[in-house]
Amino acid sequence: MSTGTQIEVVMPQMGVSVSEGTITKWLKQPGEAIARDELLLEISTDKVDTEVPSPGEGVLAEILVSEGQTVDVGTVLGRIGPAGSEAAASAPEEPVPAPASVEPAAVAPEPALAAAAPVEAAPAPVAAPQTETSGNGRAFVSPVVARIAAEHGVDTTAVAGTGTGGRVTKKDILAFIESGASAPAAVLPGPPSTEPQPPAPEPAPIPEPAPVPRPPDETPEPQTIPVPEPMPEPPTPRPPTQPEPAPEPQLGPGEVLEPMTAMRRGIADHMRRSLDTSAHVTSAIEVDMSRVVALRKKLKPEYERTHGVNVTYLAFIARAAVETLKEYPWINGELRGESIVTRSSINLGFAVELADGKGLIVPVLKNSETLNLLGIAKGVADIAERARSKKLLPDEVQGGTFTITNPGGYGTFHGTPVISQPQAGILGTYAVVKRPWVIQDEMGQDVIAVRPIMNLTLTYDHRLVDGALAGRFLRDIRERLESWDEAAY
Amino acid sequence: MPELTYIQAISDALRQEMRRDQRVFVLGQDVGVYGGAFKVTLGFQEEFGPWRVMDAPLSETAIVGGATGAALMGLRPVAEMQFADFISCAWDHLVTVAAKQFFRGRTPVPIVVRLPSGGGFSGGPFHSQNPESSFAHIPGLKIVCPATPHDAKGLLATSIEDPNPVLYFEHKHLYRRIKGEVPEERYTIPFGQARVHREGDDAVVVTWGAMVHTASDAADQLAGEGFEVEILDLRTLIPWDKARVLESVRRCSKVLVLHEDTRTGGFGAEIAATIAEEAFEDLDAPVVRIAAPDTPVPFSPALEKAFLPQVEDVVKSLQELAAY
Amino acid sequence: MAVREAEPVGSLQEVKEAGLDREDLLGIYRHMLITRAIEERGHILYRQGKIPGSFYTGRGNEAAAVGVATAMGPNDVGTPLHRDMGVHITRGVEPWRIIAQYMGREGGPTRGRDGNVHMAAPELGLHPMVSHLPAMLPVAVGMALAFKIRGDRRVALGWFGEGSAARGDAHESMNMAGVRQLPVVFICDNNQWAYSTPTYLGYPIEHVADRAAAYGFDGVVVDGTDVLAVYREAKAAIEKARQGGGPTLIECLTLRMEGHAVHDDAFYVPKEMFEQWAAQDPIERFRTWLRSNADMTDDEEDQITSVVKRLLNDALERAEESPLPDPSGLEQGVYASAEDLDTPHHK
Repeated sequence: MSTGTQIEVVMPQMGVSVSEGTITKWLKQPGEAIARDELLLEISTDKVDTEVPSPGEGVLAEILVSEGQTVDVGTVLGRIGPAGSEAAASAPEEPVPAPASVEPAAVAPEPALAAAAPVEAAPAPVAAPQTETSGNGRAFVSPVVARIAAEHGVDTTAVAGTGTGGRVTKKDILAFIESGASAPAAVLPGPPSTEPQPPAPEPAPIPEPAPVPRPPDETPEPQTIPVPEPMPEPPTPRPPTQPEPAPEPQLGPGEVLEPMTAMRRGIADHMRRSLDTSAHVTSAIEVDMSRVVALRKKLKPEYERTHGVNVTYLAFIARAAVETLKEYPWINGELRGESIVTRSSINLGFAVELADGKGLIVPVLKNSETLNLLGIAKGVADIAERARSKKLLPDEVQGGTFTITNPGGYGTFHGTPVISQPQAGILGTYAVVKRPWVIQDEMGQDVIAVRPIMNLTLTYDHRLVDGALAGRFLRDIRERLESWDEAAY
Repeated sequence: MPELTYIQAISDALRQEMRRDQRVFVLGQDVGVYGGAFKVTLGFQEEFGPWRVMDAPLSETAIVGGATGAALMGLRPVAEMQFADFISCAWDHLVTVAAKQFFRGRTPVPIVVRLPSGGGFSGGPFHSQNPESSFAHIPGLKIVCPATPHDAKGLLATSIEDPNPVLYFEHKHLYRRIKGEVPEERYTIPFGQARVHREGDDAVVVTWGAMVHTASDAADQLAGEGFEVEILDLRTLIPWDKARVLESVRRCSKVLVLHEDTRTGGFGAEIAATIAEEAFEDLDAPVVRIAAPDTPVPFSPALEKAFLPQVEDVVKSLQELAAY
Repeated sequence: MAVREAEPVGSLQEVKEAGLDREDLLGIYRHMLITRAIEERGHILYRQGKIPGSFYTGRGNEAAAVGVATAMGPNDVGTPLHRDMGVHITRGVEPWRIIAQYMGREGGPTRGRDGNVHMAAPELGLHPMVSHLPAMLPVAVGMALAFKIRGDRRVALGWFGEGSAARGDAHESMNMAGVRQLPVVFICDNNQWAYSTPTYLGYPIEHVADRAAAYGFDGVVVDGTDVLAVYREAKAAIEKARQGGGPTLIECLTLRMEGHAVHDDAFYVPKEMFEQWAAQDPIERFRTWLRSNADMTDDEEDQITSVVKRLLNDALERAEESPLPDPSGLEQGVYASAEDLDTPHHK
């Protein structure tokens, strides 16, 4: 480094993304001698703290940025003068290029080098059609000018051009039309236009079906039934719950947060609404499943072999429930406003758990009353499989009239499920457990036998179904299961 | 509203998503104790532990492939490439596996790969590239290129929420140079919606990433000459806001497409071709492209300056468009 | 010897100790028969022009595939390859869907979007392979990582061949799995020929499983024609991984009994080698074992054979009823939407 000039000390770039640094300490004061590469100051950046060695030798002439200040990379921090010189009172006038700086910005653009570089940063200049005479230039009409001219019946040669070589620009032709110089536009049909055509008279549009979801508890009343008093308004459907901008819940130690899925939110809303709507009561009954167990053992391989279907206890229970529901239309019915609705068809819903308890869906087996045991077994297997693989059609999760839920797979023996609205009841099936059971032997003596016992629950809407009715319903299902008549089902 | 740098906005967004959703986790090289090469995850390991802020071996293939597997099992991995350039080592796993898994198996792959990209600091051929167009050509991937701290945060939240593989290109040159107001609360920005960075009717610059700021400086210079330029920041390339671009083209009739990536086969070519196909009769000048020349990114500052589109290059092209 | 070479399985008692009862054994036999029957049927369909593209089979690998899959737990996952039809069968993929997949029908697991054994059955824990072997190994490692992060007691299985063991994916995935001691089991289907390349041009060590030591876990070589030995080794490795014991590399040694694909007559495989391995056909070997060790009767054998035959006939019929995919739907389904994330496998 020449001793005749001053050397700039610049803020170095300590990493590719660092744009600024803070001076933490000057290790030399103005007037002090400094050797090349001797540590001169300490800086701090977002990524690292470091010491800056002197870029040359001499005397620290001046400090331009004091301790604690933050400046951009490349900023001159101080200057080093030749040995023997004095500290300056103010910045010298003559800028001196930095020596080996690590800061790209400090490298002055060198036009010669940039020009010699075999690269092409600037785009190719816009190819003007003609750069010489106005006569040639006027001949070129850009696509948008051609279109506007055609639409408005304008002869472009009549328009004064201000573009390259006298070309008529879009602004030129719009100004020309604006001035009223052109012929009336309407008489000349243009090429196919991107503008909307004036609406031709046409049949009234068919209104799109309104995409407003009807909440399941909004029950339109049958027109024919007179209503003595105005019905209370059904609860206004809440707008879809928005996770945002609700404040983020505070988490305690060890707690885990996970956003709700759309399905989980739907389940949450429906469960809450159901409990707010129906008067839930649950009755339970114990069923001796000996006959069903024996029958299933016999039928299972046969059904599997000939029909490829696994006949489950659920299929037996569903079949018995359907047969019993035929005799209890209210349990297969619903409250709709002030009226009771019953029906001839039995559409059985089955609560199907998705993997790992992350949700459930209730596909519906329509017209279950037309199906025998095999039909129900097949139907249940089919809708359950498609529920789990998300292949159900929308129609297949609607229109249920009664639901069966089977939480017994994990060994539970009792529960109080929530009714799927607007139905009147839900049947719960539980684990089949071997229990000591008092029966009568052929002598009429009470003896204890080991029997497979299952609890069945009926959760019903007490607004419609009374306890005695529910009890008779459960008794009849039990009767069917305990004395299963193979021929009848 | 607090003012944050671009990199702080990324870091804040990531931390917020990890607090909100336990399934979100980070894996990459040096992301743990060291906090990542650019310190985006500094302090994360203390808060989230070594399994949710996982230091991976130097294995881009295993990082992106592993993220895919973890996503298939229900987690929401955010993989970090130390530099976007190194994504070439994981090409197969983005292009062959992640991009095609949903198409074949209906199994979504919700992964985010964070890609510190771009040049301007003598990073040389292997620490400066903008490989977004290579991946824009691969159906099944989404591509995000934020230009501002506000967008960086909102787009990262959307990326993590998205059920597809998302490549999140964060421009290194913007990390600590660009500041802006960023809301503290969580928010998302939908993909495929361009942002008007600057309004104008005389010409439109279609661009993204760091070039939004280059275009903005150029437009400011031209405003004095009575030429008002709209700057349209695409924000996401896949999907890209074709409708908004065509709307601007119809209004302004003069178009400059600007990107930092190299010219041939750059995403600007797709935009220019679309304009030619769908808005030909609205053009009052040829569509102009400014891009880096077709060379590797050079190291020397003098060469790199010639390589990267500069404000003066944009000014010159806009002036030519104005005069056309 | 760097790795353990597994002993063959002997008596019924030994099998019971490995967790299989007699019904399980007959089930394994049935799965092996279905596996071979599907591929034989596929061969015929291919030659009839009913299957487009190429056609690959895993003849000779039935025991390796069925043995490993039988050892998997219900919630375990894996990424089987084109020689591992037995895994799909054992996990419960319906045969008609496989044939529909071969034929590019809508009813196939990929709905005609992909072919041959590139099949997904995420509800059964199976994720579709890609052709770039062994690219599914890092994916399997990522699955195991998810289990580790979440504390699930589940195991991921990643398959590869001895040919693809040469690629970097194998190294990166085994290294990361070893570093983090992840619950993953690597299964090498070593059928001794990578297309036409013999093992000595693919790797310079005696066994692929020798490499396990370099990644800090156990390796084992097992006779891939001995379904019970494969089961025993896979079961031990899977349960070890489940208990937190880290990865294992199991190398199942077999011979590819057909060409790389139907178009390849495998002229380069020495005749003596082929004959030697043909003499230990995995299905015939297991049938003999069942008759002498588990008293499989003629009736039982006939019954299994006829069940398989009927299953295949039904499968073919149903696959042919499945329509070709509708081209108008091609551009849908490239990108997932938010609701696709609610699928059962995304738990």
